[in-house]
Amino acid sequence: MTDAGAGARETPSGAGILWRAMPTLWRVAVAGIVAYRAEMVIWILSATLPLVMLALWDAASAAGPLAGFGQADFARYFTVTMVVRQLTGSWVVWELNYMVRSGSLSPQLLRPVNPLVYNFFETLAAIPWRMIVLVPLLAGLVVWRPDIVFAPEGWRVCVFLVSVALAFAVAWLVQAIFGMLAFWFEEAMGVFSVHFALWSFFSGYIVPMALLPGWISGVARWLPFYASLGVPVDVLIGRAGLPEVAAQAGWVVILALAGRIMWARGIRRYGAVGA
Amino acid sequence: MPPAGGPEALSSGPGPRLPEVLSALARVALMNALQYRASFFVDFFVGSGNVVAILLPLAVVFGKTDSVAGWTWDQSLLVTGFFLMMSAVMGGLVEPNLGAVVEGIRQGQMDYILLKPVDAQLVASAQRVAPAKLWDGLSALVVIAWGLHGTGWPGFGPITAAFCLMIAGVMAMYSLWLLVICLSFWFVRVDNLRYLLGAVADAGRWPVDIYSGVARVFLTVVVPVALASSWPAMALLGRLDLALVVQAIAVSLGGFAFARWSWKRALASYTSASS
Repeated sequence: MTDAGAGARETPSGAGILWRAMPTLWRVAVAGIVAYRAEMVIWILSATLPLVMLALWDAASAAGPLAGFGQADFARYFTVTMVVRQLTGSWVVWELNYMVRSGSLSPQLLRPVNPLVYNFFETLAAIPWRMIVLVPLLAGLVVWRPDIVFAPEGWRVCVFLVSVALAFAVAWLVQAIFGMLAFWFEEAMGVFSVHFALWSFFSGYIVPMALLPGWISGVARWLPFYASLGVPVDVLIGRAGLPEVAAQAGWVVILALAGRIMWARGIRRYGAVGA
Repeated sequence: MPPAGGPEALSSGPGPRLPEVLSALARVALMNALQYRASFFVDFFVGSGNVVAILLPLAVVFGKTDSVAGWTWDQSLLVTGFFLMMSAVMGGLVEPNLGAVVEGIRQGQMDYILLKPVDAQLVASAQRVAPAKLWDGLSALVVIAWGLHGTGWPGFGPITAAFCLMIAGVMAMYSLWLLVICLSFWFVRVDNLRYLLGAVADAGRWPVDIYSGVARVFLTVVVPVALASSWPAMALLGRLDLALVVQAIAVSLGGFAFARWSWKRALASYTSASS
């Protein structure tokens, strides 16, 4: 971090500091993930809700397809959902909430790089490890139901990758914004829990968008819940396309702007309470 | 708060009686918890959101089909109701305590528990409550009543059997949690295994028959959440004979005895955080 500190004195521009600090930030983030690898494994394996949902839909579609979803379709859907959930997983809301309430945010603010930026790198650094942990789970699913394996068209894979990146950004930004609520409210985590219940229903996490009642899915398709998880899943299995991806990009811009404004105001308030 | 008879009663005489200790512990735990009244009401919304998030996918599934793995909507409501009840009891009475034990082992407060002239497992398991989980318990009762409204109210026998099975199921889950906690006497870092256990227990929200072979056995024997959710529902529906009920209760008593034995072994090897 000394490089970045020295850089701060020479070049006052924020972007310049970030650019020069990037390799160091990345190395520190990777080291952090490696240090907590056992905990990470447990956190990763705790996101088993797609499998629980798969069991329900699998039993429900045993007699015949539901709304065009057969058993193989459900297995594919929830397998991809589980992978995308891991690729887009973050924990910034817990971290920020804790830092604000415990005051440990203060020393972080002295650094030339925004603490949220550091968390962003750490979240990215966790992704390879998440994928490694998923491999045995995926293998088990393929053994259980071999027709999970499918070959999407090449262009869908490309759009999927873009869509996953956008979903990652939406999910991280939404969490960061809920974390920033801690500047104003004691019960920010309670608000986030309520949001999680809504999110799990409208994101496609527990019910595929195609199975929601028409008028609900007509609205939910364009909301940030779906942009943070369901879009890439549906892109890959052929139930969403470029318009939904464009909506994701729109949400990234809106949420990033909202986040910037809230951070600027929140930090002022944080200072004002004497922390 | 003045020392209200509790401590003297514990230290004088031939040895404190179980009811006295329990009522003293319950009083202190409740007082501690009632300091946070605002969060009691926030948790009402969090809990309601959670109940809705569990019921909605079930409603969507049963909007498409009448029966899943031999269970109707009303019958599944019973399972979900018992699952919510188990979660409320675990979250309100068990989890706050066992979480505190792990923290105590790491930071050294465990020493104070061991110094008390009463059974350490009792104190460690009953020093905290989360009264907000009352909301979850109430909503669980509403869901069970809703299900019974559809299936018809059973007689005294099935209700007694269901009640005993629920207690047995919760006891089995408590024993499993205690075993996980015992591990943390040796490996301090396993505490978030609790979250993994919670995630696996989430599978208990659906009738256990929707899971295929291995998973069903796993949820009945290894992480016996089905014992607390599906089995009481089956008892209410008259699907269990008395022999099975007695067996289940015997098994959970055995599990409890094993957990207690492990706890004593773990305590014997406890060396305190300070030494």
